[in-house]
Amino acid sequence: MKHSKFAIIVLVLVLLFLYLPIFIMVGDSFNADKYCGKWLGFTFKWYGALFSHSNRNIWMAFERSIIIAITATLSSCILGTSAALAIHKWKGRLQTFHYSLIYTPLVMPEILMGISLLMLFTAIGLNCGMWTIWIAHTTFCVSYVTMTILARLQDFDDRILEAAYDLGASPWTAFFKVQLPVLMPGIIAGGLLAFTLSIDDFVITFFVTGPGSDTLPLQVYSMIKHSKQLPVINALSTLMIVFTCALVFLSRIVSSYKKKGRSLTQLRTDIKGVK
Amino acid sequence: MTDSKKKWQEFFGTLPSLLWLTVFFVIPTFIVLKFAFHAKSPDGGVAPGLTLETWRTISNPNYPEIIWRTVWISAVTTLICVLLSLPCAYCIARMQKKWRAFVAGLIMLPFWTSFIVRVFAWRTLLNPEGFLQQVLIWLGFADQNTMLNYNAGAVLLVSVYSFLPFAIMPIYTAAEKFDFSLLEAARDLGARSFFAFRKIFLPGVKRGVISAILMVFIPAIGSYVIPDLVGGTDELIGNKIYQRTFGDRNWPHASALATLTAFSVLIPLGCVAWWMKRQDEKEARRLAEATARRLSGGTA
Amino acid sequence: MANEFLVFDHVTKRFGALTAVNDVSFSVNKGEFFSLLGPSGCGKTTLLRMLGGFERPDSGRIYLNGKDITDDPPNMRRVHTVFQNYALFPTMTVWDNIAFSLRIAKKPKEEIEEDVDQILEMIRMTDHAWKYPSQLSGGQKQRVAIARALVDRPQVLLLDEPLAALDLKLRQHMLLELDAIHDQVGITFMYVTHDQGEAMSLSDRIAVMNGGKVEQLDKPTQIYEAPRSSFVAAFIGDTNFFDGEIVSTEGDYCTINVYGFAQISAYNDKKLSVGQKVHLSVRPEKIRVTLAPPPPEKGAGINVFQCTVSDIIYQGVYTKYWVKSSDRSISALRPHSRFLLDQESITWNDKAYCWWHPDDGYMVENFSEEDASLIHPSPPAQKPKGE
Repeated sequence: MKHSKFAIIVLVLVLLFLYLPIFIMVGDSFNADKYCGKWLGFTFKWYGALFSHSNRNIWMAFERSIIIAITATLSSCILGTSAALAIHKWKGRLQTFHYSLIYTPLVMPEILMGISLLMLFTAIGLNCGMWTIWIAHTTFCVSYVTMTILARLQDFDDRILEAAYDLGASPWTAFFKVQLPVLMPGIIAGGLLAFTLSIDDFVITFFVTGPGSDTLPLQVYSMIKHSKQLPVINALSTLMIVFTCALVFLSRIVSSYKKKGRSLTQLRTDIKGVK
Repeated sequence: MTDSKKKWQEFFGTLPSLLWLTVFFVIPTFIVLKFAFHAKSPDGGVAPGLTLETWRTISNPNYPEIIWRTVWISAVTTLICVLLSLPCAYCIARMQKKWRAFVAGLIMLPFWTSFIVRVFAWRTLLNPEGFLQQVLIWLGFADQNTMLNYNAGAVLLVSVYSFLPFAIMPIYTAAEKFDFSLLEAARDLGARSFFAFRKIFLPGVKRGVISAILMVFIPAIGSYVIPDLVGGTDELIGNKIYQRTFGDRNWPHASALATLTAFSVLIPLGCVAWWMKRQDEKEARRLAEATARRLSGGTA
Repeated sequence: MANEFLVFDHVTKRFGALTAVNDVSFSVNKGEFFSLLGPSGCGKTTLLRMLGGFERPDSGRIYLNGKDITDDPPNMRRVHTVFQNYALFPTMTVWDNIAFSLRIAKKPKEEIEEDVDQILEMIRMTDHAWKYPSQLSGGQKQRVAIARALVDRPQVLLLDEPLAALDLKLRQHMLLELDAIHDQVGITFMYVTHDQGEAMSLSDRIAVMNGGKVEQLDKPTQIYEAPRSSFVAAFIGDTNFFDGEIVSTEGDYCTINVYGFAQISAYNDKKLSVGQKVHLSVRPEKIRVTLAPPPPEKGAGINVFQCTVSDIIYQGVYTKYWVKSSDRSISALRPHSRFLLDQESITWNDKAYCWWHPDDGYMVENFSEEDASLIHPSPPAQKPKGE
C-alpha cells in the first residue's frame, strides 16, 4: 500500500502528459519547417526573427504586459491588504458582506467579468485601453490577494499587537513594525500570484482592450489566429519557459542565501563575544 | 477606544476594497443582467424599454445545444481531472518531504508559462502533420484522414490538460494533511487496498475534492480560448458570448448568455454548498447518536 | 497613603449580560509580588487586562502611583505585560524584541545596547541574542518575554499565566527564576494564575477571586490555614467539610454535632456560642490514618474515629486515603517516611482509625454547597485526581 504501483504509473503518465506539448514546442522552435510539421533540420532563424524589427510588436506588447502586471499587482496588493485586515479585525454584518463580495469573483467565470466590465466602460463612455485593462486586472487580482493574506492572517496571533501597544507603540508603529513584517510573506505571495495572473490573463483583457493596447497574450493570440509566424511563437514561448525556470531557480538561491544571512548575524554576536 | 471611533476605523478600512468591487464588479454584473431584458438598438447598443424578446430567441434549438455541449464538456473534464488527480495526489503526499515539494513544483511549473501558448502547443500537436497523429498512425490507431483537431474531443483533451493542476493541487493539499496511518490501520483490520482507499482516503480528502471540482468546473464553463483554437465548429457558450459582443454587436443576446453562464455555475455551486452542509449535519447527528449509544451501553 | 501604589477602586466590567469583574476594590504595595488566583472565568484576566489598558472598566477607577490611569491607552501606561503565549514578535531577533520598547521611547543607541545586553545577561540569554523566537525553547521564550517587558523598568509588571504553557519540570525551574528576577529588579509584579501552587510559592499576598469578586486577600499562609470562605478552602488545596452545630463550649474549644456523623471537638477561635451552625474544614494532611488507635501520649481530646479504608492512591510524595466512617467519606494524606513508627502498610478494606487534633480544624464563615462540591468528598470513579 505504501507505494501503490497504480498511483505511481498514473503520476508518471500525468507528468508526461503535462510536459509533452512543452517539449514539442521547444523542439519546434528549432525546426526549420515553417508549419511546425515534419523535422526539416535544426535552425536558429526563428529566434533571429523574434528579435528582428518586423516583430517589434511582440516586444511592445510585452512591455505593456509588464507595466500592467506591475501596476495591477501594486494596486491589488494595497486593496487586498486593507480588505484582509478589515475582514480579519472586525466581525459583523458589514464584513460578512465584504467577504462574500471578495469571494464571489473567484467563483464567477472570467468571461462574465470581461463582458460586464466592457458594458460598464461603454455605459460610462470610457475608452478602452491601458487604463481599463489595469482596472480589470486589479479587480480580479484583489480577490486572490485578499484570500492569500487572509490565510496568513489566520495564523497571526493578535496578542503580539497587544504586546506592541503594551510596550509603548502607537497603533501606527505597531502596524508597520510588527504586523506588516509578519504579513509580508503573505503579501508577497499574493503579489506574485497577482503578477502571474495579470501577465497571463487573456479572456478579460480580450474584452476590455482598446486599439494599440494589446498585451502579450493578445498579441500571441492574434498571431495564432492569423497563422502568422507560428515558429516565432514557439521561439518566444521557449524563451519564456527558460525565463520562468530561471526565476524559480533564482528564488530558490535567494531563499537559501537568506538562511545564510541569518548565520551572518550570528557571526556578529560571535565577534562581539570575542571582543 | 470609543465605539464611534471604532466604527469609523472599520468604515475606512473596508471602504477601498468595498467601493472598488462595488463599482467594478457588482454594478457591471447588474448591468449585464439588465441588458438581457432590453432589445438591441440598431447602432449596436441597447434600446430603452424592457422586453423578454431576447430570452425568446435564445430558446431556439441552436442555443440549448451549445449550452448542453458546454455543460457536458465541463462536467466530463471535471470528472477526468478528479479521477486523474486522486492517485497523483495520493502518490505525492506519500513521498518523502523533499520529493513532495519537487514533484508538486514540477506539476505547477508548466502553468507558469503562458496559457495561450500551451493551447497553441496542443493545436500544433494535434495537427494532421503533428507529432501525435504520426505516433497514432505508426501505432495503427489512426490514418491520414483522422481529424484530431477541431472537434469536441480536442476541446475535452485540452481542457483536461489546462485544468488538471488546479484539480491536483487542492486534493494534494488535503492529502498532505491526511493521516496515512489510518490506511495502515484499515489494512491491518483486513481491508483490501482499494476498499481502504475508497472508504478511508476518499472521505479524508473530501474537501480537497470539492474545491478541485469547483476549480475545474468554473473556468471550464466560461472557457473561450480552448474551443476557439481547437474546437472548430463545436463551439461553447464562451465563443457565442464573444461573437454576440463583438461580431454582430447584439449586446442583449451576449448579456442573456452571460447570465445563463453565471447560473450554470451558481446552481451547481449552490448544490455543493447545500450538500456539504447536509453532510456536516449528518456527521454531527451520527456522532451524537454514537455518543448516546455508548453512554447508554456504558450504564447498561 | 504611601504604600498604596496601585489601587483598584470599585472596578466593574461587564461583557453583555456577564459581569466579569464585580465592584472590586483593593490596593497593591510598591515592590510587592501580588497574585490574582482563581478558576478560569473568575475575572482575574479581565482585571489584568484593565490594568494593562486593553479593556476599559464600566465603572470604578484604577490609580497607579497616585495617578488615575483608567482612561490611558495601553501604550501610555508604564505597565507591561508578559503574555500567556509570550507574544514575541516573530520577525525580530531576541535582541530586537527586547530593544523594542527602548526604541519606541527613542532612547540613545548606546543606552539601548547597554540595557539590552545587561538584561540578556540577567536572563542568561546572551548567546541566543540573534536567534528568532521560533528557534527558542518554551523556557527561553518565557525569559525573553519577561526581559522584553522589564527592560524599560515599568512601574508594574503583569504576568498572565506565564507558566501555563511549560511542562512541570520547567515550570518549577521558572518559579525559582521568577522569584530571583523579582528580588533583583524590585518592580511590582502582578501575577495571574489558576495554579494555587505557583501563587503560594511566589506571592507576598494573594487575592483569591471567584465570580468576579475578591473572596479573600491575604498572605499565602493565611489563605491556606484560615480560609475565609468555603470557596477559598476548597480551591486552595483539598479539604473535608463537616457541617453541624455547636452543642457545648469549653474554654477555647467547642464540640460540634456533625449531622449524620459524630461529635467533633474543634478550636473555637471565633468564639461562637452553643446552637450556632458551623462549617468545619479539616485539611487531609492533618488527618492521620493508622491501623492501631492513636497512642495516649498524643494528647487527650483529639478526634478519633473508627473507619474502613475505601480507596488508596499512591502519588509519590504522599499517599492519599479515602476512608469511610459511619457512612461519611473522609480524605487523608500521608507523606512517606521509612523511619516513622506508624508506617504499617494499609490496604483496601482495612479497619483503621482516623484522627486529628482539634486545633487542625478551621471554621469557615461563608459557606456554599456549590463550593463544597468542588472538592472530592469521595474517591474519584476512575482516574486519579489531576495535578
